[in-house]
Amino acid sequence: MEISVNSATCFKNNNTIFSDMNISLKKGEIAMITGPNGSGKTTLIRSLSGIQNLESGNILINNKDISDRNSNFTEKVLYIGHKNSLNGDMTVFENLEYLGALDLSSKANYGDKIKAALDYFDIYKYKDYLVSDLSEGNKKKTSLARIIMSEKKLWMLDEPLSFLDDKSSDILIKLILKNQKADGITIVSSHYDFSDKLNNVKHIKM
Amino acid sequence: MLKTIIHKELSIYFRNLNSIFLPLIFFFLIISIFPLVLGPEKTLFDKIIPGIIWITAILTTLLTSNNFFKDDFNNGIIETYLTSDASIELLFFLKIVSCWIFTCLPIIIFIPLVSVLFDIPYENSIVLLITLIIGTPILISVGIFGSALTLGLSKNNILIPVIIVPFYIPVLIFSASAIESVAIGLSYEMQIYVLLAFLFLILPIMPYLLKYTLRLSINN
Repeated sequence: MEISVNSATCFKNNNTIFSDMNISLKKGEIAMITGPNGSGKTTLIRSLSGIQNLESGNILINNKDISDRNSNFTEKVLYIGHKNSLNGDMTVFENLEYLGALDLSSKANYGDKIKAALDYFDIYKYKDYLVSDLSEGNKKKTSLARIIMSEKKLWMLDEPLSFLDDKSSDILIKLILKNQKADGITIVSSHYDFSDKLNNVKHIKM
Repeated sequence: MLKTIIHKELSIYFRNLNSIFLPLIFFFLIISIFPLVLGPEKTLFDKIIPGIIWITAILTTLLTSNNFFKDDFNNGIIETYLTSDASIELLFFLKIVSCWIFTCLPIIIFIPLVSVLFDIPYENSIVLLITLIIGTPILISVGIFGSALTLGLSKNNILIPVIIVPFYIPVLIFSASAIESVAIGLSYEMQIYVLLAFLFLILPIMPYLLKYTLRLSINN
């Protein structure tokens, strides 16, 4: 598995967010996008996951351009944005069922996987709570529980540590290291640098 | 995947019963305002009541589809849709169908009661019912499309009706024509076939159009 960004330029509302960006990541590597608020970290990670269009340049995943309709890159990418993607009117368990249905790699042993994912982040006791009743930290953990459910190896995590306590941050960092050992690629955007807790990290400064 | 998504989409509506009853209450409120304004003249009322029902149905669908994707946009689920490897077109189709079931179907179910209340002849009432059954899924689809199109814009409440009401006009013309034809004893099949053609043209392409439009909208 590999991902490469070639001379990528992105405009948003006539402002240049990044220009002539080149990144190359191979299996077992971690990229950390850091920078101050408003520097374009989220836009870059959205571009890498195919949500944001580029003005010029391209992004290749396993040598296939993600803007190509037949690239099927979504089969490999697990994108978890900073907005959590949770429906406040559904319970924690229902949200994960719904999000799991949108991730074809997680379909085997569905219920067991959700239980394991919730146990991993120690939020199984909240499984029947409406998401709107959860704290921001527990919402974040619910959103990150998708990592455990998914079989995908190319993770794109936007501000994954925000609202997390130290214990949960360590759990996530262990997961990222586990993905690295399994030859996966993790791209993380964060307003603060926690690369000292990871190995073999490529820095992308915005 | 299909079973889970259908179950979740329907359970969201069931959990929030306001979304079923409020459109229905709104529909009855608007319809009952007209006799108060127009007075008790029966001949005038007999002539315009099918039109009033149609315009009220349009207003109801406009209100319900106006902010269809707003919550999904605010909580980031749209981004998950666009990065999903499942069939998002199928998901959007199911969303359109569930929106129709919970906002338009209750109105259609109450049309026989409305027909009795406003003394609409039996034949006219049947044609009115048929046009609503075929026409309202088109209205909902176009309304949802308007919601997707204006998602990235702030203060879009008036913009959506301005964009989509012109697309309602053909549906309204052929529905009104069918009802008028049956009222004067002419054949109304042609208008129904045209409405069916609109429906079978719009429903299959709408999920693809929604996926494309949502991607454009959240890029801004």
